[in-house]
Amino acid sequence: MTIFAAPRQRFPLLVTVLGLALLSVFFLFPLSRIFSASFLDRQGVHLTLANYIKILGSAFYQQAVANSFEIGALATLLAVLVAVPLAFALARFPIIGKSVLLSLVVLPLILPSFVSAYALLLMFGRAGLATQALRDLGIPFGSIYGAPGIIAVYTLTLYPYVLLPTLAGLKAIDVSVEEASHNLGASRWRGFWTVTLPIVIPSVLSGALLVFIETLENFGVPIVLAEDKPILSVEAFKLFVGETDQNPSSAGVLGVLLIVSTALVLLIQRHYLARRRFATGARRSPPIIAIGSGSRLVASAACWAVVLLSLFPFFAVVVLSFMKFRGPVLQGGFSLDNFADLLGRSARPLENTLMLSGLAALVAALIGVPIGYAITRFRSTLTNLLEIVSTMPFAVAGTVLGIGLIISFNSGWLVLTGGWLIMVIAYVVRKLPFSVRSSASVLHQIDPSLEEASVNLGVSPVMTFARLTVPLMLGGIIGGMVLTWVTVSSELSATVVLYSGEWQTLTVVMFQALEGTGAGTAVAAASLLIVITLVPLALVYRLLRRYEASLL
Amino acid sequence: MANITLQQVNRSFGSVHAVDNISLTIADGEFFTLLGPSGCGKTTLLRMVAGFADLETGEIRFGGRRIDTLPAHRRNTGMVFQNYAIFPNLKVGENVAYGLRARKVPGPKIAERVASALRLVKLAEHGDRWPHQLSGGQLQRVAIARALVIEPEVLLLDEPLSNLDAQLRVEMRGEIRQLQQSLGITAIYVTHDQEEALAISDRIAVMRQGRLEQIGAPDDIYRRPATPFVAEFMGTTNLLMGTLAAQGTRIKVGETEFGVPRLEAPDGTNVSFSLRPEALRPLIDDEASPQGWAVVAAKLTRLEFLGALTRVEASLSHGAPLRAAWLDLPLQRLHTGDLLRFAYDPGRVTVFA
Repeated sequence: MTIFAAPRQRFPLLVTVLGLALLSVFFLFPLSRIFSASFLDRQGVHLTLANYIKILGSAFYQQAVANSFEIGALATLLAVLVAVPLAFALARFPIIGKSVLLSLVVLPLILPSFVSAYALLLMFGRAGLATQALRDLGIPFGSIYGAPGIIAVYTLTLYPYVLLPTLAGLKAIDVSVEEASHNLGASRWRGFWTVTLPIVIPSVLSGALLVFIETLENFGVPIVLAEDKPILSVEAFKLFVGETDQNPSSAGVLGVLLIVSTALVLLIQRHYLARRRFATGARRSPPIIAIGSGSRLVASAACWAVVLLSLFPFFAVVVLSFMKFRGPVLQGGFSLDNFADLLGRSARPLENTLMLSGLAALVAALIGVPIGYAITRFRSTLTNLLEIVSTMPFAVAGTVLGIGLIISFNSGWLVLTGGWLIMVIAYVVRKLPFSVRSSASVLHQIDPSLEEASVNLGVSPVMTFARLTVPLMLGGIIGGMVLTWVTVSSELSATVVLYSGEWQTLTVVMFQALEGTGAGTAVAAASLLIVITLVPLALVYRLLRRYEASLL
Repeated sequence: MANITLQQVNRSFGSVHAVDNISLTIADGEFFTLLGPSGCGKTTLLRMVAGFADLETGEIRFGGRRIDTLPAHRRNTGMVFQNYAIFPNLKVGENVAYGLRARKVPGPKIAERVASALRLVKLAEHGDRWPHQLSGGQLQRVAIARALVIEPEVLLLDEPLSNLDAQLRVEMRGEIRQLQQSLGITAIYVTHDQEEALAISDRIAVMRQGRLEQIGAPDDIYRRPATPFVAEFMGTTNLLMGTLAAQGTRIKVGETEFGVPRLEAPDGTNVSFSLRPEALRPLIDDEASPQGWAVVAAKLTRLEFLGALTRVEASLSHGAPLRAAWLDLPLQRLHTGDLLRFAYDPGRVTVFA
């Protein structure tokens, strides 16, 4: 293979080999342990299918699988129904305050969804504010526990996954395509159904599949709202915590089920839809459709209502965090007691969150940027493999990765359990697909001949990467780091499996507060989390707008 | 400064032989152009010299020194890229200084050499500007200054003018040629524009599907194309097929006979030949043909008036088209449908075996 001998390939080759090695140890190996756990008996010695027979034969777990898929499908459908009209309105109608809306619309993807679920609980739960008020007014109100609440939260927090690609798809249609349909005699309505919609459908579907994957993996929302309704990701966690045998075989089976379903959906998303991009590379986007001022008001109000509704839970949590609670019951009146409670006990959760997400963001960038560089600039069999492996963590639920890491590194040649390092490793692995893809998308905007020019002038490829490429990518790298930081700080699913003793984070405090210690502490933690999330986002807002596409 | 030798250089991408066993030598101080249609392998060949494309087999030498085993950053070539590749994060002066810093040239010396390089490309006042403040032509000059300031052994230019408008293109190619001559540097220039190649080069290599079709001086390539492909690629021509007659002194194309310099082949042999439009001179009315020239008659089908030049299209008796081009034709005396006589020097006919 001459390409390996060529000197200009040494740097990317090194990056690729190191990247593959790291991912093998901290991602593929734990995954393989989950698989093997599911095929071994309780002592972890003999191969058996008994675990699968036991789990799949149990009505309870069958119900868990059915629930997960049903909730996921309904939430996906609702997200599409919310997002597509919204995308069309934002692309084609003169919506009032459009640019503000466009920047608010991304927030639900970044803010922690289980905070949104918790807010729903505080307002519409059994002892909820709104529930009480409605009951006092004599209005009957159903339960939000189980499927209805979970679906509502998923719809409101995940619809941007559909909205953003659809909006991009609508903008990428060249005006001439629609004009051609009108020129050939199609009415505006007919043109929409026969031309515009078919062109954006691949974008809609690819966003919808992302929503579906998220719902399957999500742990925080069902743990808050499911109560006794079995959900796959939650049951995997409960089984793992409850299993006292040598080998977590039952949790392994559920883990494999989760991995296989998300991986299948992701595979469909990548390989079927990625090739069906009909974007015509708009030189001129279709114009804003002129509508009467009445219709304009109605359309604007509808758009604002959707976006504000999706952000309202977060707003409510911040407000509630300044109110007095006794146990789970709201007392009314403003105070800082909740924060005093939360931080008075220990400031460690806050410090841990800041420290761990900072570290994870840094490491994810240090690993993700060179990998993004290698897979964009140097195509080979090996870099293709790296690209696939580095996107795979996206298909693995945090709970499952956490379990895999624990059974891999609680004994043997490398012991990591019980400390902060294993948490950072989990975060880095989970956020690596994002880091790699955001740096790849930044690199696509930088002409490779700039790097060649630098090499031609006598600077080695490694130094060219460090001194020219990285500075050129800096905006994107910082944007990516902030997004990693923000999403890691609200990570719950892997954290809850991996944390120990002193390494509680804000999300863990919330998680524990749900199980009794009092709503006050939980809302204070949630509120702090929102502030931690929003402040850096606001600081790098301009940078992020350019790279929000890589969130998808 | 050195001559450049390529010896049996090969490279394929999948089933496509991008560079097919190419050997050539470029003299010290020569302006050498690789010319061909897109996909012919010219850019790959240039990038092999620069070190951005790998050789499967073969050798490249500067002087006696083999360089294809060196990494790109140690080859000491100065490359000018198609899209300029000016670092947008560095000012103009810093762009030019980039290669000198990599070579650890002392600070004061860098300032001096950057200033003189910018003077050379007439941008002495622009060192403190940002690239985005410059026009396309100015960016191209920065790219040239940046490539020259490191005193490379060879200057590599990859379609450097293709992003400029027509007028600037003509202007810049003159300047590039002048600069190369005054510095006496060896240059390899890649282009798909045959006029540009003819105007600027000492020698041209015409490439097709990874192979060399012909190497030669511009007038050689134009006047004595080695293959029908070269004849057609280097401007318009009449490429005709016929059979040899009259002891190899005439070629019959349908019922029309063309006089050619005597050929050493039996009559009846099938041959193709090229006759450039400007070699055909329309004879107006009873005008006599010059001494020793041959005459061919064809029916005038179309006149295209282009200002100084008029293009004439006619059809031979069996329908094959014949194109001619002439300066200052008396248009009012020509009518489509007329039978027109064309005179030509048989020496201008190129016959392909």
